[in-house]
Amino acid sequence: MKNVFALVEHRQDKIRDISYELLTKGQELATLYGGELTALLLGNELTKFIDSLKPYAHRIMIVEDAKLKDFNAESYQIVLSNILKQEQDFLLLMGHTASGMDLGASLSVELGASIATDCTGIEIENDNIIAIRQMYEGKLLAKVNLNIKAKSIITIREGSFPPQVSNLSAKVLDFTSPLTAEPSYRRFVEYIEAPLGEVDITKSDIIIGIGRGIKEKENLLLVEELAKTIGGIVGCSRPIVDAGWLPKDRQVGSSGKTVKPKLYIAIGISGAFQHISGMKGAETIIAINKDPNAPIFSEADYGIVDDLFKVVPILKNKLTAMKA
Amino acid sequence: MNIVVCIKRVPETSESEIKVDESGKDIIKTRLTFDINESDNYALEEAILIKEKLGGTVTAISCGSPDNDATLRMAIAKGADTAIRIDTADLGEEVQPQIDSFKIAQLLKTAISKLEFDIILTGCMAKDDGYSQVGQMVAELLGIPHAALVTEIKIDAPKARAKRELEAGLLEVLDITLPALFTIQTGINEPRYASLIAIRRAAAKEIKILKWNELGMQDTELRATIESLFPPPIGKRAEILQGTTDETATKLTNIVKEKGLI
Amino acid sequence: MRATLNYEIRDFIMEMGGKEAYKCFQCGKCMSTCPWAQIDTVTLPVYRMPQNVKLGISVSSEDKNELAREVEEVFRCVGCEACVSQCPKGVNIPNILRAIRRILGEYGSCPEVLKPVISTLRASGNPLGQPHEKRNEWAKDLEISKFDNQMEFLYFPCCFPCYDTRTQKVAQSTAKVLKKANVLFGILGAEEWCCGEAVRKMGFEKLFTELATSNIIAFQSAGVRKIITTSPHCYNTFKKEYTELLKIPQYTGQQAGEGKDVRPRFEIYHTTQLFDMLIQEGKIIPQKQLNKKVVYHDACNLGRINGIYDEPRKIITSIPGVELIEVPNFSHEYSLCCGGGSGGLWIDWPKEERMANVRVKQAIDAGAEILAVACPYCLQMFEDSVKVMDIELEVKDISELLADALSD
Repeated sequence: MKNVFALVEHRQDKIRDISYELLTKGQELATLYGGELTALLLGNELTKFIDSLKPYAHRIMIVEDAKLKDFNAESYQIVLSNILKQEQDFLLLMGHTASGMDLGASLSVELGASIATDCTGIEIENDNIIAIRQMYEGKLLAKVNLNIKAKSIITIREGSFPPQVSNLSAKVLDFTSPLTAEPSYRRFVEYIEAPLGEVDITKSDIIIGIGRGIKEKENLLLVEELAKTIGGIVGCSRPIVDAGWLPKDRQVGSSGKTVKPKLYIAIGISGAFQHISGMKGAETIIAINKDPNAPIFSEADYGIVDDLFKVVPILKNKLTAMKA
Repeated sequence: MNIVVCIKRVPETSESEIKVDESGKDIIKTRLTFDINESDNYALEEAILIKEKLGGTVTAISCGSPDNDATLRMAIAKGADTAIRIDTADLGEEVQPQIDSFKIAQLLKTAISKLEFDIILTGCMAKDDGYSQVGQMVAELLGIPHAALVTEIKIDAPKARAKRELEAGLLEVLDITLPALFTIQTGINEPRYASLIAIRRAAAKEIKILKWNELGMQDTELRATIESLFPPPIGKRAEILQGTTDETATKLTNIVKEKGLI
Repeated sequence: MRATLNYEIRDFIMEMGGKEAYKCFQCGKCMSTCPWAQIDTVTLPVYRMPQNVKLGISVSSEDKNELAREVEEVFRCVGCEACVSQCPKGVNIPNILRAIRRILGEYGSCPEVLKPVISTLRASGNPLGQPHEKRNEWAKDLEISKFDNQMEFLYFPCCFPCYDTRTQKVAQSTAKVLKKANVLFGILGAEEWCCGEAVRKMGFEKLFTELATSNIIAFQSAGVRKIITTSPHCYNTFKKEYTELLKIPQYTGQQAGEGKDVRPRFEIYHTTQLFDMLIQEGKIIPQKQLNKKVVYHDACNLGRINGIYDEPRKIITSIPGVELIEVPNFSHEYSLCCGGGSGGLWIDWPKEERMANVRVKQAIDAGAEILAVACPYCLQMFEDSVKVMDIELEVKDISELLADALSD
């Protein structure tokens, strides 16, 4: 019988959304295996998180330790290997996030486990664990077999499994932290906000791309408000950089950045080939343009043929309402 | 500072059509252009910058066929002092195309442990497979600390202060004791060009070849293998939302909601 | 101090094709005609470049930023050959720089922006990253046959006219004119590959040879004798560079027979040459009135490099109502390059460093309502400038003007 574990990710007193995605998929797999899903919760002052996690898992294993207050891959690895070395047959899920990337691969080595990273799907075929993941910059999908079935780690790309609240009521277990001190060889110092101007649009999940259609610099405000509403970053085509309305590091296209966000909303962009080559890898593309023949519509998934100055304010209100 | 930088030669696929080969597990590579992996190029530059500042040596190391020598020579032309290639041909035709991150990490670890080093740099992700595993694994096998997704390194031996990139514009600052491994995020620096004279000299330089079995490894068991590669489901061309401005905005909001895009 | 003689580097560049550097005596005439001289914020010391090769000090700096500047200079050349036309010794500076580009390109030491262009071209046979099998999509509503050896002409649109939505109109207009004149022609569709001209100019000789070989084999096996090109770049490379390749039997897949020359020969026509002939022969008669002032922009590869100045102008003036005007001082062999050649199309210089913007301004100042071009690169560059500069100027290919002038 295989037990499934999911590492709860939290930062600055908030559980990160990926945690619920992992728990949702984890529960499905645990049910399939007839085993249990354990949410692993490491950190300091954790009781506040327990209620929101309870419906998602069979067990919550809590490792309460002031030395685990902020994520440190080395301390996390010590704790997790202590927990999982006692398991005969496990599958561990974690986010393919800055934390999961830092931790997963080295933990797999210590545990002698198979690992597949950045996965968007998991299938169990004839008892084999098959991870589905993108390769070659999303041009192909791969089925990856994790050969060490009894010890497997899978890191999940954010947004792969929409969270679904379940009706479980997890049993809360305490696990005594094996840490005597934070490892001297790696110490957390602090979090800092990236200085302005260093915004890396290639790392953003949501990008609003603007083009000549926005006509004047003043109209940027409109788009920036929309971006704020949906937690995105504003990128642009070359003319906007040329006009000096946005810095060069916001330019999407063959001579700018190549981006592959989950969502790209092209506003007032006609779709010159230089721009398209930079954003065609986005998972979902929405285009808003007055010109029904704009080439952007042959790259987009959804299109609105309309005046952006009419659409954007209404869209912003509706999205704000949706988020609330 | 003696620095080892691990580099991978990858096909440039961002703007090219990619086709699966007969085995169904690999791609057809004949018409592809290969170059140093993007983040590895930044790692190489970071290694050279550290050497320029603090002295020492840069060793570039790569796993693979003789085709990799061109990439290693480029590393020499830019400023690496020596280059090592771990030849994987002896792994056999079945294992070699399927070689996994763990096997690569074992090979790199064995080769690197014969060198003197203070810092190991790798890219944070290979553009072809997108795994982001090898660096962290090498560190674990060598028993040294690591940090992934690094955007700044300040050396103050025997420690280093690094910044690593988290989500949504947040950075983590951490202290790490050398020797340590860093996986380098793109944008940490500005990779340089090679001069003609450096290119000329690099062409004449010897690349040290290590055979995998000479490294004392016999185990060819793989921990993760690709079962199949297939194109993602397609169906492009925008669905144009019809109606008044208000209606289209509503429709779009619903799509965004249903698909969980925000 | 950079003037350390380095014969090793000198010989290296010479080996790669930079021998002409010897002929230069630094008179500096090239400086006055180089199109970069029209850009106030850029000083490109063209006249020093052959000298640098002779001294072996090209792209040699040990300083990272200085080196980046030197590489950038090498890739500024747009291959317009304005320097060649004025040089008392006929030194071909673009060729010398191409030798340096070959070395840099092979080591990935070229501007990053060019790398995906090259990889895309190798993978898909075009620089736009479009599927190779869709090469004849532009023609899908036009009933154009695949070329067979009963046809007189092969029409070779090349990449932008095949795939780029704006430039497809040029290929479509060309086909319309040819049909109207009852010219027997066909296309190769997916058997056609990028001509490789820009690839070669960017320094990627091997890829050029691969592309050219694919095309030559396609021409031969289809029995092509006469080729019509839309792009002056195809025209030039077919006429001059493919011919050179054909001297090497292995590239044509054909053994040279003993004593007899079995090399294929192709007659190359640019669309403007053929259109002019068709008008002269009365096979097409432009009838529809176009009451506009038109400036014709001489593409470098058509005018300066191949001496085709009159045909495009004769076509334009054959359209009733058109007033053809010339840009003073910058017409015919003194035409200012659009900046798109030799990789310039993909290197994105800052707005104030774009020749196309200068050229568009010249046309506007001369009173143009339409800027007529005969090259897909010029079309791309000027369309872009007009958008960025936000001015009223129509950019049209001659084939479009002509097709529009023919009765339905």
